[in-house]
Amino acid sequence: MMLAFAEIRRTRGRFLSIIGALSLITFLVLTLTALSDGLFYGSTGAYRSSNAQAYAFSTDAEGSLIRSRVPVSDVAAYQNVEGVTQASGIGVLLASGTGPEGELDLAVFGVEPEGAGVPTTVDQGRMPTPGEDGAAAVDQTVADRGAGIGSTITVGDRSVSVVGITKDSSYQLQPTIWTTIPTWRAMQASVRPETRGLPPSLSAVALELSPGTDPNSIAPVTDTTVLSTADAALAIPGVKEQRSTLNSIIYTTLLVAAIVVALFFALIVLEKRELFAALKALGTSTGRLGTTVLTQALVASVVGVIIGVAIARLLGLALPAEIPTLFRLDSLIQVSVFTVVASVLGALFSLRRIARIDPATALGGALQ
Amino acid sequence: MTTHQPATSAANETKAILEVADVTKTYGEGHTQVTAIANASLQVQQGQFVSLLGPSGSGKTTLISMIGGLLTPTSGTIRLGNEVISSMSKKELTRLRAERVGFVFQSSNLVPFLTARENLLYVASLPKNHDRKAAAKRADNLLAELGLSERANNVPEKLSGGERQRVAIGRALMNDPDLVLVDEPTAALDTALGRQVVELLAREVKQRGKTGIMVTHDLRMVEYTDEVFEILDGKLTKSTGNAALAVH
Repeated sequence: MMLAFAEIRRTRGRFLSIIGALSLITFLVLTLTALSDGLFYGSTGAYRSSNAQAYAFSTDAEGSLIRSRVPVSDVAAYQNVEGVTQASGIGVLLASGTGPEGELDLAVFGVEPEGAGVPTTVDQGRMPTPGEDGAAAVDQTVADRGAGIGSTITVGDRSVSVVGITKDSSYQLQPTIWTTIPTWRAMQASVRPETRGLPPSLSAVALELSPGTDPNSIAPVTDTTVLSTADAALAIPGVKEQRSTLNSIIYTTLLVAAIVVALFFALIVLEKRELFAALKALGTSTGRLGTTVLTQALVASVVGVIIGVAIARLLGLALPAEIPTLFRLDSLIQVSVFTVVASVLGALFSLRRIARIDPATALGGALQ
Repeated sequence: MTTHQPATSAANETKAILEVADVTKTYGEGHTQVTAIANASLQVQQGQFVSLLGPSGSGKTTLISMIGGLLTPTSGTIRLGNEVISSMSKKELTRLRAERVGFVFQSSNLVPFLTARENLLYVASLPKNHDRKAAAKRADNLLAELGLSERANNVPEKLSGGERQRVAIGRALMNDPDLVLVDEPTAALDTALGRQVVELLAREVKQRGKTGIMVTHDLRMVEYTDEVFEILDGKLTKSTGNAALAVH
């Protein structure tokens, strides 16, 4: 301990360089994680905020709300399935709308306001009441673009007035509006002329289950597939792929952190070969020298991580709102722990080198 | 020191604290085998300061490394007090060096980022049972005795070459060792300073009743030692005054 801290204190410059490198790596990983989380949470908000534990899709839709189409009669059919306490139809439409400040790309959700599949994150105002056509609750991101409570949003030839604001309920990075099924259907008919004249249908059926029921144990109605809400979120096109791409970048960066630390301490040990040989000759065990190096790696990485977190948070505040980033505490803790662990693992590589130093070389000036 | 008395010494013989008996060290095998030390024997009494004189490549470093527990002999025995060190494991040797052997290296080899005082305290922390308070007091006393009180809180970079070797002497004496091994202490110093350092070493070793062995190729330094052993091509002989001069 004495050696570890005295060296950091008295040769501050070189330790600042490794701390600097680690803080930049932490900053990079945290920013990537925030982007990954931003994409993931921005894509899956409608599911994560839902009061439904499972969704039934048409089998050919592969779990996508956009592709799925089920007959209205499925709602009543699911009502009778064991384990289901409430089944409600939901309709989804991706469309452009117009708000007070111009055009909005929207995901319109038609729901049964007191049924399943409704966001539980109403922050201000309320959801439309059953039968209250022409009213909608909107996601915070819509309100942020000027369409707060009391304003009017138009999709096709249909307008709704905003009566409430929900949080964290976007879908596929689109801001959502939550209205009644008849209003949704009218909007769909207006912007998708090809759906006119077809028998009325729904996108999917949202299911509330009795407590303790495994979503995978629900017997599906003909031509439909049941997914738990979490699985349905991962089935959104692109979500899994984005996550795995960004995760590979993050893991690669952590690997780089380990290599940087490994090289740094390899150099330090190389440079101190002569001193370490003398210290061993004086009766210092290899274990004690190794502990010194590991302690230094731990201190450098903890300080580096703290600085990196600070930079990432400060820069995160400066990022424009269009970039979907999300700084989450659990991700932050995970990244911090991983970086520290990667650093210590990197430093472990120096132990072999320390073990190989022969104390006998301290005598006779063999290294001079 | 009574606890370290050898168990098997003859009654009429003075008890040697260090006994090297018929020690050989070879490197390599077969045709390429090199004998660094051949059948060396020597005894040093407690309180003696002896020198080991020889040109470079003579094997003096190999011999002193074995005596200090840094190398293990190929054959023969080395006994320090009541411990036979020639058959110890690496781990036991590490313990032995921390507790019973003090080293002064050619280039002082102080820890560059520790102050003079901390360099002493560091070696005090090596033995398993150490008393921090007693160590601090001992370090201060040693530094005072070596005339380094004013320089105690300086890192080696801020010390002169002579001061550094004095700190190294303090470090070697810090754990109250039985044996102090000194490897060419004057290599990095000019003659006058070298003399001062060796004189100081001789005085400290004798005053404290330690046993000291100094490796040197510098004939001028042997006058401070009680006995001179010469080593040439791996063969050790006890020298008489005139023979010592023949080395150079």
